[in-house]
Amino acid sequence: MRAGQSRSIRIGYTAFSMAVIGFIVLPLIFIVWMSFYSNKILSFPPEGYTLDWYRRAWALSDFRNGFFLSLRTSLIATVVALCLGLPASFALVRGRFWGRETVSTVLMSPMVVPGIVGGSALFVFFLEVEFLTGWRVAGTSLGLIVAHSLIALPWMIRLVTTSLISVNPSIEEAARSLGAAPLTVFFRITLPVIKPGLIAGSLFAFINSFIDLEKSIFLVGPDSTTLQIALINYLEWNFDSTIGAVATVQIALITVLLLITDRYAKLSRAF
Amino acid sequence: MPDVVLQDVAKHYGPAVAVANMSLRIGDGELVALLGPSGCGKTTTLRMIGGFVETTSGCITVGGRDVTALPPNRRNMGFVFQNYALFPHMTVAQNVAFGLEMRGVNRSDTDRKVREALVRVRLAQYADRLPRQLSGGQQQRVALARALVIEPDVLLLDEPLSNLDASLRQEMKIEIRQLQQSLGLTTIFVTHDQDEAMSTADRMVLMYNGKVEQVGPPDEVYGAPRSVFAAGFLGIPNLLPGQMLPGQQGFRLEAGPVLRLSGQAAVAGRCFLALRPEVISIHAAPPSDAENCLAGRVEIMTYHGSAVEYQLRTDIGLTLTARAVAPGLGGPALLPEGSRAWLSWPATAGVTVSEN
Amino acid sequence: MLAAPGLVFVTLGLLLPLALMLRNSLNRYDPSELMISAVTAENYLKFFGDAFYQEVLWRTVWISGLSTAICLVAGVPVAYFLARHVSALAKRMLLIVILVPLLIGNAVRTSAWMLILNDKGVLAAFLGLFGHEGPLGLMYSAQGVIIGLVSVLLPFMIITLNSVFESIDQNLEDAGQSLGAGHFTIMRRIVLPLAMPGVLAGSVLCFILSMNAYATPVLIGGPTFHMMAPTVYQQIAKVMNWPFGAALAFILMAVTLILTVGVSVVVQRRYRKWSE
Repeated sequence: MRAGQSRSIRIGYTAFSMAVIGFIVLPLIFIVWMSFYSNKILSFPPEGYTLDWYRRAWALSDFRNGFFLSLRTSLIATVVALCLGLPASFALVRGRFWGRETVSTVLMSPMVVPGIVGGSALFVFFLEVEFLTGWRVAGTSLGLIVAHSLIALPWMIRLVTTSLISVNPSIEEAARSLGAAPLTVFFRITLPVIKPGLIAGSLFAFINSFIDLEKSIFLVGPDSTTLQIALINYLEWNFDSTIGAVATVQIALITVLLLITDRYAKLSRAF
Repeated sequence: MPDVVLQDVAKHYGPAVAVANMSLRIGDGELVALLGPSGCGKTTTLRMIGGFVETTSGCITVGGRDVTALPPNRRNMGFVFQNYALFPHMTVAQNVAFGLEMRGVNRSDTDRKVREALVRVRLAQYADRLPRQLSGGQQQRVALARALVIEPDVLLLDEPLSNLDASLRQEMKIEIRQLQQSLGLTTIFVTHDQDEAMSTADRMVLMYNGKVEQVGPPDEVYGAPRSVFAAGFLGIPNLLPGQMLPGQQGFRLEAGPVLRLSGQAAVAGRCFLALRPEVISIHAAPPSDAENCLAGRVEIMTYHGSAVEYQLRTDIGLTLTARAVAPGLGGPALLPEGSRAWLSWPATAGVTVSEN
Repeated sequence: MLAAPGLVFVTLGLLLPLALMLRNSLNRYDPSELMISAVTAENYLKFFGDAFYQEVLWRTVWISGLSTAICLVAGVPVAYFLARHVSALAKRMLLIVILVPLLIGNAVRTSAWMLILNDKGVLAAFLGLFGHEGPLGLMYSAQGVIIGLVSVLLPFMIITLNSVFESIDQNLEDAGQSLGAGHFTIMRRIVLPLAMPGVLAGSVLCFILSMNAYATPVLIGGPTFHMMAPTVYQQIAKVMNWPFGAALAFILMAVTLILTVGVSVVVQRRYRKWSE
């Protein structure tokens, strides 16, 4: 809290900031509210309240299947990112090898290359593989998992390396000097210490994979449509409160995941 | 130069009291040190004077002008920060010129004043350097020049010497004192180091737990600490618990014996006799004419070059520290650890200190 | 090599496809055979010879520039407010409030904006209370797209700037104030120059993200509002003109890179003196 700044300046900052934060958040509040409207055609203000939209959203197989496909894809992508990202993070933080900067840049590049560009490159690549070998990848869940693992990996690495950097290597040396074998040190000392980073990394990897639109849009097929794609497909022809119901479920899910992440890591550090 | 008056100034953070009703007058041209352990409220007090912390209650006046509600930029006080807070993106000269610029001083006057200020702190040749190209001591002097060039009513220094190494600290201590004297500046500085406070300040304000424990010239405070905390903080290790006898001629130790006292004000109830190590003499044999004498065994002997410090376990169970002049300088011969020794001191030597 | 599996995965999943796409951008398109192997610049020439695509690029650039500028103006005070004026707990909560919209996904957030902006939506109803009548015209317009983009980008800007403001020693501001500077002078002369690396990083991030925005222009801008990323998608996935789509993607990346590097160089030259 800054003293020495006049009250009017403080009030000015508070008011301005609340207005800006309101601008960011209010649309979400309205869409949650809207999901309970009884209006048949979306309009404002509401005529009454109902839970019908949730029933309707659940009845639409696009949304229901999309939700489970997204859940499954993101979970697998998170596991893949963990398996690839944990060892890579160790190499990046502890390793002293030539070209470490380059390795780091390559590993983080899926975050840097725009989604539409990365998505279209992957799409064309998959189709060319199919032309050459007859092996179909685009439009299958394997293609989706590859794309989503690419999204998840940099987030995992970013959060795990941050937490690894803060581990004092001498605690591992201390454990060694007390008689622990390297694997014991890893499981008894290092892993518990970086656990918050692992949890935060996994949650961020999951969230960013779950909400992806730009890469998935190239790779979904008739039987494999993720929730985000189902949403914008629906929006193309309809605009009713079914959207609100789906959005509300997603908002609730992401908020809960973020609150859990917040317990384990400083959220601002992920960006 | 105006005086600074604090009247019942307090700072509360919710239920926590950082500074409890503090009243203090810092005279015109006086250098006052706020002294105390960390968390005692000294820095909060300084920051309230500077305007960086709002007071919860009370008022602060400078030369009779009430500044309590004024923001720092309208108080005209020079503030030297513990980490100097030099603007890293400005040169030394630009740093020093900043305050003049804010006052709308014209270009040529600014240049002249900046040059004078830098000459005064012996940094004229560094005007175009950036702060990070200077040593700690030089940065400190830039911070001083920057605070002084605006001709402040009051100079405030927050732990000005704590980031310097020992030899530089000595040098800067003298330099700050000389600058303050030659400019006749009303100056308040915060420190946790009692030596620093005693060797620099006209008066010390000893603070503890948000309250003023004792105010006075260094020799007075050191010679006559008024509380157990003051005695302990000023490095007086010998605090003997007991009770004064009626007539103030005797002090009954809780350990049994009665000591002779003279020239002490009456203190009721349990209190302590504070004895500085320098006033206690040490003898290899029982002294014949001592007003007070305790026998014991040397536990630890520490040699300091010009002095020798003995820690004795007395026969009555008290541990006392005595400081003697080194043998080569006319002091008594060294007494090895484990040897028997006698401590003596005159009746006027001790100071009785109330329990709290 | 612990990093090897990840490295192989990213190389196969991203770098190789990108290299292939670069090569494809030099191929020739044929409606019956999709792609004929060649080395030709005709896809790039087609872009620069067609006023339609240049207009798409230009629209993308100015919308991104304007959105970034708005984010900067709106983000600086909020980031400073979070860094200096709120308690740790309040900051943590506000951060979550800011991050939820960011991590909610483009589909949900954009549909929320459609609800607000459409002619029978929340904003129209609200303005109706003050006597405003007739359609708002925000859906399918540049204004609507900018509003949508700003709401996505602001959290990024706020978080980037906030961490820079927090790294600035508060004593510097106190020192400035004790020397007589008022708040806005301190911001202009001390805080913002010191925060310049963060201002630059945040702006570059926002600019890149909006250059590549897909969902907002498609859903709020509508089918006739063309920006680069949706056009790339259109060419690659719908028209199946891979060479031209690839060329568009590389033009988009190149223009983004040139503009961000250009601005960074100019800004850094101004502030290099003390930052190196």
